[in-house]
Amino acid sequence: MTDLSVPLSPPVATAAPARPRFEPLLSRRYALEVRGQLAWPWQALILALAVVVGLLVSAAILVAAGVPADQLLNEFVVQTFLDGQNLRAVLFQAAPMVLIGLAGCVAFRARFWNLGLEGQMVWGAIAATAVSVWDLGPQPLRLPLMFAAAAAFGLLWSWGPAWLKLRLGVNEIISTLMLNYLAANFLLHLVYGAWKDPASAFPHSPQFRAFERLPELGAGIGSAVLLAGVVALLAWWGVERSRAGLYLRFVDANPRMADAVGVPVRRLVLAAVLVSGALSGLAGFVIASGQEGRLTQGFYAGYGFSGILIAFLARNHPLGAVAVALLVAALFVTGRSLQVFYQIPFSMVQLIQAVIVVCVASSDFFMRHRLRRVASAAARAGTPGAR
Amino acid sequence: MDIALHWLTNTPDFAVPFALAALGLILTERAGVLSLGAEGFMLVGALVGIGGMLAFQDPAVALVLAMMAAAAVSLLFAVMVVTLRVNQVIAGLAIVFFCQGFTGLMGTLLEWTNQTTAGLAPLALWPLSALPGIGPVFTQNAMVWLTPLLFVAVTAFLHTTTLGLRWRAVGENPQAADAAGIPVSAYRFAAVLAGSALVGLAGAYISVVSTKLWIAGMTGGRGWIAVGLVIFARWSPWKALAGALLFGGIEALIPQLAASGVKLPQYFVLMTPYAVTLAVMVWVALAGRGGQAAPGALGEPYVREERR
Repeated sequence: MTDLSVPLSPPVATAAPARPRFEPLLSRRYALEVRGQLAWPWQALILALAVVVGLLVSAAILVAAGVPADQLLNEFVVQTFLDGQNLRAVLFQAAPMVLIGLAGCVAFRARFWNLGLEGQMVWGAIAATAVSVWDLGPQPLRLPLMFAAAAAFGLLWSWGPAWLKLRLGVNEIISTLMLNYLAANFLLHLVYGAWKDPASAFPHSPQFRAFERLPELGAGIGSAVLLAGVVALLAWWGVERSRAGLYLRFVDANPRMADAVGVPVRRLVLAAVLVSGALSGLAGFVIASGQEGRLTQGFYAGYGFSGILIAFLARNHPLGAVAVALLVAALFVTGRSLQVFYQIPFSMVQLIQAVIVVCVASSDFFMRHRLRRVASAAARAGTPGAR
Repeated sequence: MDIALHWLTNTPDFAVPFALAALGLILTERAGVLSLGAEGFMLVGALVGIGGMLAFQDPAVALVLAMMAAAAVSLLFAVMVVTLRVNQVIAGLAIVFFCQGFTGLMGTLLEWTNQTTAGLAPLALWPLSALPGIGPVFTQNAMVWLTPLLFVAVTAFLHTTTLGLRWRAVGENPQAADAAGIPVSAYRFAAVLAGSALVGLAGAYISVVSTKLWIAGMTGGRGWIAVGLVIFARWSPWKALAGALLFGGIEALIPQLAASGVKLPQYFVLMTPYAVTLAVMVWVALAGRGGQAAPGALGEPYVREERR
């Protein structure tokens, strides 16, 4: 289509004129530039700085809220990481965190904003509890059944919004969030109704029996931790090494392009969302069977956001998610102890996570842009005073 | 009959938060900024509204303070999405959770939780309120009467003023607007602040006027419902007002049914606003009028240096 007889326009970029020796401060101009890929050590440094700033801001808020500054370091670092029992508590807490974080990673890789992690988690726990309450299956098969039921129901609860998005283009942000509220209310319906514990009349299900609990494996490590580790490795293989994972990267980069080159985009997105739902369901199972030993009314609180945060900070990388999940788990454990000793509400944990996300998200700007001083118009023209 | 009258009387009270929040969101989103932080701004408005009531005992002062507080918090969001070009979904989510955590913390530390306040007195609209039978329907608080006026003001602003035209241009095509000499970032900052102030007012209405007290997380997802409502309304204020009346009517129906002795499973009834939101979203999609009404540049950061 190009008409070669038309002369090309003269090159726009000409050599920059020599900068004058003195330039008044006010006439200096800074241009914001989009820069190319930054070398990874710089990226890591900026990321680390952002996290540190986030933690410092959080620490300032905590001190303002009445936690003695010298106790803060003690609570978070010494008590949480250097005490054997508390370290086990962090690992214990990390198992569902890893699962929910992986659930976030998988869905976000397919550009699907699955904000329904909590709802899918609630259904996973409900399904696992149903197996216990209705005494389904023989004893040795009980745990596998609970596992399968939790994954299946988490998957089913994510199917709806995925289908609505792919078929009708319904915004998944709203639909998955609304489904969270539906799931939470259904949970309340159960624990205040048919499944209320007859032994204590408290709004939680009866205690699971011993063979319905995830067993300890020795050295205080629960099988939930092992499960989370195995799932993390599988997820890593799935998104980093398998063919589907490679295709997912196409979809993430440019869905229209991926579709054009023959990648089955819709099927991939659907599969990713279903896997995400199943993983959330498993997180619910781990909390019900591994931690609480029953279905409780508010067990899911805060996990949805933590899942999103973990996936975001880990850049949707499964092994990164494991590392971030450990940190978030430590934050949860510290948060509980702050709640007990200083009456700091648990919402503080949410606040700290949000502050870190704000810092890290903002730091992206400095990875993608740079400020470059350019000669002012006046200096370029060489006529002082002309604007 | 009595129940129907009560229901009609109570509907505006439930509709106002949805209406104001949706109006604020439309104002923001018309300039191209997807504001998912509504739930958070509502919580800030609700908390500061109660704080203002406890400190000054004056609903007007409390509501204005709440608007200012929500706008102040939204400044953080504006810096993130306009200046630093952070992904608007991530920024919105972070703001919601920031506000949930912050209001929960402040409510506890300042001991504002569960403190009851005076609220806003109902105002009779004279000739109508004196009508036999349906008179009580017209005896509402001042905010109920103010809300439609705000809708008129915002619609007039967006569609009849030059400023409004530029405002929408920034949301439709920021490149073109920039080329025409409109400062895109300034408009988007203004859009986030103004819209969030209205969303904060919606939250303050819930705490100051409706419930007259503060409880952590008291907005209960109404901010998210408002986000859905705006999609349903295709970014048009009057359709949003109609949608708000629909949602308010449904919410007002729940206590009426309970009072009239209809036995409904409680938690299923509590699901209705969320289920209806979902149903409305599906209906909008089925009717085939989904995204095309959205402002052209909604959710896209404007990066001048990447201009093509």
